[in-house]
Amino acid sequence: MKKIDLNKIKNTDWKKAARDFWYGKPHGERRLGELYMPKTGLYKHREWRGVKDTFYYFHNIWLYNYAQMVMDIMKFGGPVTFAKGLWRYRWMGQTYLPVLHWFDRGLEGMRGEALRASAWHYRAMVCVTINQFMGMFKADANLHGGEHNDAWKHTIAHKETVWGGIFYPWQDQFTNIPMEMIPYFVTCHVNNHTVLNYIDAVQSIGLPGDPCPMCQAEAGLFVLDDMPDYAPFVVTTNEACDGSVASTAIQDWYLDIPLFAMPQPMQFDDPLVQEHCANEIRECWKFIEEQTGVPFDWEQLKKRLERQNELQRFEWEKWDVAANTSYYPINGVAQALYRIYQSQYGDHYIWHDVDKRVRKIMEKCVSQRIDTFPKTRHRVIAWSCAPLYFSNWCTWAYNCWGLNCVINMDSLMFDMTIRTDSLDDCVMDMAKYHEWAPMRRMAVGGMHHIFELWENMERFHCDMVMMYDQLQCKGMQGVHGLFEDEFRARNIHAIWMPHALPDKRTVSRSEIRTIINDYMTTVMQEEPLDPSLLDFDDSESW
Amino acid sequence: MRDLKHLIFFENLLQEANNDLVKQARNEGRKALGYTCYFMPEVLLDLPGCFGVRLRAPRSGSPDMATYYMSGRTCHYGRSLMERALEGGYNFLDAQMATETCTVTCRFQEHLERMNIIQNPDFFCEFCDVPFKKTENSYLHFRKQLQAHVLDKLHEKFGVDVSDQALLTAIEQHNEVCRLITEIGSYRKLDDPTITGYEFHVIQLVTQVCPKDLILPYLRETAEEMKTREPDRKRTWRVKVALSGAENDDPDFTKLIESCGALVVADRYCYGSLPGREEIVVPEGQTPLEAIARHYLNTSMCPRFMPQDLMRGRKQYLADVVKEYRADGLIVASNKFCEYWSYERTMDALILPRDFGIPTCSIEKEYVNSASGQLRTRFQAFIESVEIKKIQEGAKQ
Repeated sequence: MKKIDLNKIKNTDWKKAARDFWYGKPHGERRLGELYMPKTGLYKHREWRGVKDTFYYFHNIWLYNYAQMVMDIMKFGGPVTFAKGLWRYRWMGQTYLPVLHWFDRGLEGMRGEALRASAWHYRAMVCVTINQFMGMFKADANLHGGEHNDAWKHTIAHKETVWGGIFYPWQDQFTNIPMEMIPYFVTCHVNNHTVLNYIDAVQSIGLPGDPCPMCQAEAGLFVLDDMPDYAPFVVTTNEACDGSVASTAIQDWYLDIPLFAMPQPMQFDDPLVQEHCANEIRECWKFIEEQTGVPFDWEQLKKRLERQNELQRFEWEKWDVAANTSYYPINGVAQALYRIYQSQYGDHYIWHDVDKRVRKIMEKCVSQRIDTFPKTRHRVIAWSCAPLYFSNWCTWAYNCWGLNCVINMDSLMFDMTIRTDSLDDCVMDMAKYHEWAPMRRMAVGGMHHIFELWENMERFHCDMVMMYDQLQCKGMQGVHGLFEDEFRARNIHAIWMPHALPDKRTVSRSEIRTIINDYMTTVMQEEPLDPSLLDFDDSESW
Repeated sequence: MRDLKHLIFFENLLQEANNDLVKQARNEGRKALGYTCYFMPEVLLDLPGCFGVRLRAPRSGSPDMATYYMSGRTCHYGRSLMERALEGGYNFLDAQMATETCTVTCRFQEHLERMNIIQNPDFFCEFCDVPFKKTENSYLHFRKQLQAHVLDKLHEKFGVDVSDQALLTAIEQHNEVCRLITEIGSYRKLDDPTITGYEFHVIQLVTQVCPKDLILPYLRETAEEMKTREPDRKRTWRVKVALSGAENDDPDFTKLIESCGALVVADRYCYGSLPGREEIVVPEGQTPLEAIARHYLNTSMCPRFMPQDLMRGRKQYLADVVKEYRADGLIVASNKFCEYWSYERTMDALILPRDFGIPTCSIEKEYVNSASGQLRTRFQAFIESVEIKKIQEGAKQ
């Protein structure tokens, strides 16, 4: 039996212990790294965030979201459809249950309003994800004995880089579901092992290992026949890069259904390209009319766009608070993922629900001047494309080093509302919106936009850059030296974070942490806020 | 076979981007316009007062400076061009007529635009947007782009005559080059071709990197010479192959394949003549520029075209080339880090043998093929397998 150490009891500061119990240990005294079980990234026990926040996390985040996940399944198609999909598709089977671990990783160490607002963003993403995969499963001929049911006939498939807004005119009768958004993009955030299989699959038919691993994984889904057969036709685009165009050829080969290519101009600053792009959108609408037999509905389009504009206006308010105050209650990973998901997928009721709740929290923070990330040492802007298997690096970096990732490139791309006064104006704006697609406007796209980094650093009052270094992105690798030159010339602290988007085998999470640790100790000469987070093995973690 | 009279002269022209004919044209006061891609219509760059030079980086070594700027994980071709530019090898250029048609060459050209690399005070770099489809919307868009970013710029900066008449004259000259190259290339279709793949590669390349009017007399003479050229009595090759793939401006690569026992009879790659050397026809009712815009989109077989029929049509085209040129097999070569051709090559290597019964060798190469030993082994094995197949087929018959 363990002996009771009377000296320890005698020397305990009971007042502090009570305070730590009630409020949780203050940042700087926490040892979050000691909570992990070796390799797994799983917790030995729940993080104690103080009475209020621990209970909030358990009831309002854990239990609430588990319950919502069940309710969403019921709402969007029922347990039988869900079970069939879970059984049939590897990406589904491997990612549904770890969802709450994804919450844990992203929200680790968060307290108070930051915990609440960030968690709402997570909730929205889960809801839209369930909505999409249940939509796929309901329509999926693979799950219905090869039968093309009514849902199949009323679903439109598209590449995930086609903005969902293109399909607004039919959204009262048809559901549009991006092909890769759930099977590839969302899954590797939740469980970073899942996509590796698809990358290996496409390489097994002869593809070299150096093309963008995102496109590889997207093509690999088809090679392994792990893509639901859920729609009679598909719309593709050239966003964001050569790899996306090229991998479509493989997808087409496996899909073998009518395909409409809706390319966007590369030189999107050129005023001459806008009409061409708008015409491509019009052509796409014509194709959808032909395929569905349902005419284009301007009123639907207008209605949805106006709802989307509301989301954009709130996003601008958020940016304003993030840029000019220390009261912004959303952490780096929630900001990045929610924004890219929302702006790319398009209008959905859950975004509005969640924005209302976040607005309330944000207004409270501003009016009561709540410093949401009080241990911020550096305000960081993240630039270029993020490692999908370690999107929660921002949470870790804040906990370990006080690096507060205020904003990121993906959030800033769609920086416009769309006019709905006339169809012509509307299409021109839609063209512009689509041209500013993820990974295009400020990454693979024209060099002028890549260097918008400097303006945004000033705008968001950032003093450091987390420079994502996607090793297989030819567009960003192709400007590596110019960034180095500029960082030196402007005397900017920038940490290059090498990664391979979904493929953790190229640069592991642990290696990424080491790179940041090394920079912070050797260049910045700083001490960690939580040394237990410096080095730990989470190689087998989801 | 008897040596071609001008082959050594042609080979020498390929040793430098700023070759003797380029120097001669510049001395005459003409403007040198660089470009990298088929989508920049060379015919527009050959208007009176200027000439196009498709950029190469012959005799490249290790692109160290370029690797600093573009990292070691981008296409070697793009980096070699960048290195050559940083070394001053393109200072003779008066302008770069750029296209964003593949990422790394685009990045190279953006560096030219941004970094003041070219030591020529009048130098400018102008980008054109190139469509991904062959539709009326695309033709119109491309025409507008060419007007604004090529013709208007050339007129504004250098006072070049860009009238319809000038365009028609340029088309006429361009078509003569195409006719001659097609004629010379057609000897590759013979049972016993009277030109090697290497020789043809050299000839095709010089037409892209020299002023057309200055190279034409040599081409005419070569075409004439070809009419009486006899094949070797004893075949020096065992099989005939078509070569397809990404950027390839290295005749030594063709020579490497031929040294392994194959004869390269078709060149379906960037910088090749299939497609690329089709004559431009100006139909009634179309302006010359409109015809040019249509021609370059319609003839291109680039993997960046996205519509379903074009993605699938490319395989048929390749199979047709193999058949027309009587090739026994196909070599598909992509440059390392080329996204387009990595996928295209993978698909070609699966589809061409399966759907068309064409033996296919799929390889990845660098811009400078220093690993020739490895490639040689691959080619030898492929040639042997095709040869055995031919023997077996012969035995069956």
